[in-house]
Amino acid sequence: MSRLTDIPIRIGPLGPIEPPGGGLGGGVAAILSELATLLERLVRGEPPGSIDLRSLPMSPRDRAELQRVLGDGEVQATVDAQGLSKMRETRVSGVWWVEHFDQQGALIAELLEVSRVPEMLASASDEMAAGARELRAHITASAASLQGGSHVRQP
Amino acid sequence: MSANHEELTVGESLRRAGISRRGFIKFCTATASVMALPPWMGAAMAEQLRHAPRPSVLYLSFQECTGCFESLTRSFAPTIESLIFNVISLDYDDTLMAAAGDAAETALATAMKDNFGKYVLVIDGSVPTGAGGAYCTAGGRSAVDILREAAQGAAAIVCVGTCSSFGGIPFADPNPTGAWPVTALVEDKPIINVSGCPPIPEVITGTLLQFVSTGQVPDLDEHRRPKAFFGNTIHDRCYRRPFYDEGKFAKSFDDEGARNGWCLYELGCKGPTTHNACATIKWNGGTSFPIESGHGCLGCSEPGFWDKGSFYAAQSSAEWGKAGTPSPRRALELGGAAVAAGAVLGVASAGVSRLRQHRSEQDAADHNQKEG
Repeated sequence: MSRLTDIPIRIGPLGPIEPPGGGLGGGVAAILSELATLLERLVRGEPPGSIDLRSLPMSPRDRAELQRVLGDGEVQATVDAQGLSKMRETRVSGVWWVEHFDQQGALIAELLEVSRVPEMLASASDEMAAGARELRAHITASAASLQGGSHVRQP
Repeated sequence: MSANHEELTVGESLRRAGISRRGFIKFCTATASVMALPPWMGAAMAEQLRHAPRPSVLYLSFQECTGCFESLTRSFAPTIESLIFNVISLDYDDTLMAAAGDAAETALATAMKDNFGKYVLVIDGSVPTGAGGAYCTAGGRSAVDILREAAQGAAAIVCVGTCSSFGGIPFADPNPTGAWPVTALVEDKPIINVSGCPPIPEVITGTLLQFVSTGQVPDLDEHRRPKAFFGNTIHDRCYRRPFYDEGKFAKSFDDEGARNGWCLYELGCKGPTTHNACATIKWNGGTSFPIESGHGCLGCSEPGFWDKGSFYAAQSSAEWGKAGTPSPRRALELGGAAVAAGAVLGVASAGVSRLRQHRSEQDAADHNQKEG
């Protein structure tokens, strides 16, 4: 073997090889059961809950099955904060599939959130209070501007 | 790393850096996810931290290669370090800080005085005690002296990397500099070991974030490592585990078994006895980990990993584990009386290590007998 081209090349299957049985299955039935329990609690007025999908060693087959059963609902939302976050309600009302990506587009967290609206979408009280103050200041400044022209003399 | 940021809350600091509340919630959610904390903890951590002042963190580098710090600061996402550095007030870090010489040493002294009893002390690297500590000095003082002084006012000490956690490569036989891990030298402070050569960046960040958000030392294993990251072995969570269970092993790095992705146990993989999160969190933004890239685990987050024989000998072979534990007697001779108290602790832990090693050898012998 004197040339590089003499080295035999064999192209294997692309992507990770799935071990027998599809790997350590996370158990789609167990996830669905937990979702049902969380939904029942939410309806009874208990706090929202969520399942961290990245902590479950799911095989591609498990994922596909979970996605097939939950399906897609009517609502989708995207938040652009330190990378995109995508939230879509599944066919099961109150079950949201939430994916957080970093600024390079890598998936950094994936959850099934059981809530009326995903936690991240809701506005915070302190920020709403700041928003109200900002609007009041704008109204005051606009009124002053209308009364005294654009150059308001400070008292 | 400037004094005028000291009074800022985390939320204000993040806002000034252009990081929104939702961006911070996302960071905390991702951190809670890698720590296997309940998912709601992410938002709770974010809310708790947002209104709190940034805790002071002092990062001291001793006998180390800076690989651990590189792991943290050159991690997959540029945002991870900007986020963590907005959550904490990094008041001293000789790798990053612009100040040098007397100004740097003054910054350290000031931060220790102003935050006495409250700061988190991060140690990177082992602490050489040989030749009166002359193998590692900064500002004319030995690492041992700096550590002892800085430890006094620390709320907790976080050892980043296998060198500060267990001595690492400098501690390996024959340990020419009389290097010791922090636990051998400091005994009256909470110490959290974040081992690995280097540790996974998310593990460093997650440990710091959990401590500063709760003020509590997380649940630790027998080697003082956070159970959230070190509770399982690599083997427990390895995607090749089903091949091990079926008895399908690669016999060389280029055989049919290797090409089929079979278990690397017979090629020396130390996954079965190595506690770390590589198989779940992975490296480079979750791209892969050594086993996924076709190489066995080296066991770099375990005590004495450098002295346990060939990386390519199967754990069932007689060779593995025999080279063993660095000689505490040799380290004592080098370290002399300066570390007498610490040395007592060191000898005790080395004794435990030898006991474990003996058990490992016994297990290996039993395994061989069964195989035979």
